[in-house]
Amino acid sequence: MGNRINKFGQQEIVGFVLIVVLVVVGLMVYLVISLKDSPVNDNSVAVGNILDVMMKYTTECAIVYEPDYDSFEDLFKSCYLGDRCKNLGMMACDYLNESLSSVLGDLMASDASVDFYELDFFVGDGGGLLKISEGNCSGSVSVAQRKIVSGSESLVVRMKICR
Amino acid sequence: MRNVVRGQMKIQQMAVMIVAVFFFFVLVGLFFLGIVFKDVKGSAGDLQKEQAISSLKVIADMPELNYDSSWSMCVDEDKLRVMSGNFGRTYDLFWPVASVEVYRVYPKFDEVKKCPGVGCNYYEVFNNGQRDLKTYSSYVSICRKVRESGSTYDDCEIGKLVVGVKQASSAENR
Repeated sequence: MGNRINKFGQQEIVGFVLIVVLVVVGLMVYLVISLKDSPVNDNSVAVGNILDVMMKYTTECAIVYEPDYDSFEDLFKSCYLGDRCKNLGMMACDYLNESLSSVLGDLMASDASVDFYELDFFVGDGGGLLKISEGNCSGSVSVAQRKIVSGSESLVVRMKICR
Repeated sequence: MRNVVRGQMKIQQMAVMIVAVFFFFVLVGLFFLGIVFKDVKGSAGDLQKEQAISSLKVIADMPELNYDSSWSMCVDEDKLRVMSGNFGRTYDLFWPVASVEVYRVYPKFDEVKKCPGVGCNYYEVFNNGQRDLKTYSSYVSICRKVRESGSTYDDCEIGKLVVGVKQASSAENR
């Protein structure tokens, strides 16, 4: 009789273990899916704010004459058109790469919560013209982009920040 | 009598199992909720930040600071100079916040130097002297008109607008 009672107890324990195993497997699947898809904010106001302010920054590059200096927005267009900074004696794209890396580096260094940043400059329906990135992304991603019209072409500047 | 004891044993076993399963599912539920609300907390933080930037936009776009009405989040350096000087004191009752400060953040600086002054990088537009302020900040363009070789151009730098507001709990206590 005692054996029968033990058997019932063992059956219940096996049932409980089965439930535990099923739930743990379910949770593992959920965890893997939720950790894979880290939340992405596609139209972040904070990142858009950085892009807007950066676009207005007056650079030292004058394409036509001094003091008609390009802002970064103008410099993106000049880079796309293959212009040259007349006063600096270098290509607009080279100067853009150099100065933008410096500005972004300093801005991002002032915000300790930023682990990674990436700036992509590309033609709307074509290839990339410039890419600047630094750090490793592990947290939540915020993205914003701005369009610049140059003639009939639409240029896109997209920025991605990881916190 | 033996049947009664066996029945009691079975009831006890069942009760223990029900309690164990109940606690197990409670723990699983708490774990699940923890993961779900972690995202909610992150989203709330993002929303709060975006709301703060929108509020700062209102201050940056006020005619007292704004460089050009068609340019948003862009402050006039000459206006900053005037507002952070003695003239700014006449505006003390105007500001809807406890403090308004503007820092020049690019090029990077090692030491905060209050304006006016050579190589200065910090304008204190308004500060009513309150303590325990919660500060909100956002990037702004600091622009000025520069005359060079007979022509004028807009020279814009990158700055940070920092606004201090009295924290809700301390404000309620007053």
